[in-house]
Amino acid sequence: MMVRNRQAVFWALFFPLLLVVVFGLFDFKGVSSTGLLIIDLSQGPRADLLRERLEGIEFLEVESDQASISRAKAVDELVDGDLGYLIVIPQGFDDPVGEAGAGEPGPVELVYTTRNPQRNQLVDGAVRSAVSDVRSDGQPIVPAQMVSADIIATPEVDYFDTVLMGLLALGIMTNSIISIAVRISTYRNQSILKRLLVTPLPIWKFFAGEITAHVLLALVQTGIILAVGVFVFGGRIEGNVGWLLVITVLGSIVFLNVGFILSAWARSPAAASGMGNAVALPMMFFAGTFFSTAALPWVLPEVAQFLPLTPMLEALREVAIDSAPLWDTWPHLAALGVWVAVTAIAATRVFRFS
Amino acid sequence: MQSAVQVEGLVKKFGTVTAVDGISFQVEQGEVFGILGPNGAGKTTILEIIEGLQTPTEGLVKVLGRDIRTDARNIKARIGVQLQSSAYYDYLDLTEILSLLGSFYPKRVTPDTLLEQVGLLDRAKSRVGELSGGQKQRFAVAASLVNDPELVILDEPTTGLDPQARRNLWSLVGEIHRRDVTVVLTTHYMEEAEVMCDRLAIMDQGKLLAVDSPRNLISQIDATYAVKLVMAKPLNESQFASLNGSVELVQTGEDNTYLLRFKNDPHALQSVLDEISKADLGLEHLEITPVTLEDVFLELTGAELRD
Repeated sequence: MMVRNRQAVFWALFFPLLLVVVFGLFDFKGVSSTGLLIIDLSQGPRADLLRERLEGIEFLEVESDQASISRAKAVDELVDGDLGYLIVIPQGFDDPVGEAGAGEPGPVELVYTTRNPQRNQLVDGAVRSAVSDVRSDGQPIVPAQMVSADIIATPEVDYFDTVLMGLLALGIMTNSIISIAVRISTYRNQSILKRLLVTPLPIWKFFAGEITAHVLLALVQTGIILAVGVFVFGGRIEGNVGWLLVITVLGSIVFLNVGFILSAWARSPAAASGMGNAVALPMMFFAGTFFSTAALPWVLPEVAQFLPLTPMLEALREVAIDSAPLWDTWPHLAALGVWVAVTAIAATRVFRFS
Repeated sequence: MQSAVQVEGLVKKFGTVTAVDGISFQVEQGEVFGILGPNGAGKTTILEIIEGLQTPTEGLVKVLGRDIRTDARNIKARIGVQLQSSAYYDYLDLTEILSLLGSFYPKRVTPDTLLEQVGLLDRAKSRVGELSGGQKQRFAVAASLVNDPELVILDEPTTGLDPQARRNLWSLVGEIHRRDVTVVLTTHYMEEAEVMCDRLAIMDQGKLLAVDSPRNLISQIDATYAVKLVMAKPLNESQFASLNGSVELVQTGEDNTYLLRFKNDPHALQSVLDEISKADLGLEHLEITPVTLEDVFLELTGAELRD
């Protein structure tokens, strides 16, 4: 029956898909970090010279004020993509070349990830030539010995993959909340709920039917969004798609319950639609669908942790991006479970038939 | 034989408002029972209590021998209901709606049989939104028959219909009646109640004013004819009092309009007309009609029945 309302179904599926297309068109790889961090263990004039040379490379941004950061911390930032390149200047870098007794200093370490191969080559070459210029003092030396490259293999995750999960969660949320709120308030306005009450049909069967239909729609929607994201725009899903569907179903039930609650307050389908948007859109931003919630001011990042969309997103991303098995996401699933229970109780309390 | 519906001392309060105020009546099996009254009289509330949509504040309601408080599920399976606003899914055709509704009941009639009964077989693949007002109401009646009920409850089945569609619906109710199905209906229309109903309950402001057959209700009134008089100016109090002594005179809701009733006594009319011309009130319109339920209603409630 829901399928007969073709326009509604179409837009329910199309809206998140539209966002997938919009985000897919941006080239997020181009904006991955070009930051270069220099950890200077020698603290000498030659190291400063090297820094100056590196600052002159136009496709790198040398980060300042982070001299005290540890190597391990910097490597973490590299892996997370907050930092593009790391250079460690060894002790003894300032010692004159070939002087007896001092011993050869270790090579300059260059650390980067596998994310952007083309740029990596450029950076690698530029750093090697800079180091050899600074170290050589006019004497011929072999650049290869002066620089050691440490390449960290990271799965090729870009912003689009993160956003794809965000769009999936967003699609499920808006569709579940708004569609059920509008449907139920339409049914109430047309006395369909009343008409059902005068039949011997146990009313829980009606709700079970509505929830099942919407959960099925949510699964179809998930399939379409993931298919378009992956096959058309080259998004990557590292984890098990089946687990994603399980998380989708849980999230969908939470938001259907929210829709039932809203429908109890809405006096008309139009009001229900507005209320649904008012709940869904702020949640979309606060739960970190597109941007990290760390950018939020005040206590909002902490508050955002308690929104139902947040655990859904986290679970989706852990499975899709970090290829975590479903059971590893249990804290998020538990949070979703609590939300299912809380919203279900609230929905049965406030629901009215006429 | 047990009653189809038995209502005793029924009270329904919504907050401080008393919608139904201590009502008792019985509907016998196989009869068409009408509940008549102006808007806000409490008709729909009574029906909703019988249907199990509302719970009574006080009093006993038994439907088909079962108590509505304890046996609602059983009762719902055996009655058919048509709500005041027809309420059906937009995206299903008539056959599909009837199959869906039927699937909620242990006993059911096929959609085609139902549509044929109400003359909508040719619209089987239409949606409710595509039907005319009269067809919608007939479909609503068909939907109320989906479980082959022992009792059918129709809430204002003819409101908003043109005369032709109303007559169609009357004959439909007549057919249901002939199959010994009990019918309880509400209406605003007196002539409709007179045609369709075996017995009538007349309600106003939550109270039951009379329950009887239309014929008995009419014969209760001690008059044969009614005369409606419309005047340019209203009667003053003393004129009204002097006239009201010789014949039975009632002022209606409209300005300067009076109803007087009398038995077969032409002198009574003569003296009233003399009085009016003497007072120079300017008689504008005069209408003589036989006494109808309308007059019964006027007599009981002091108000005209209106939509």
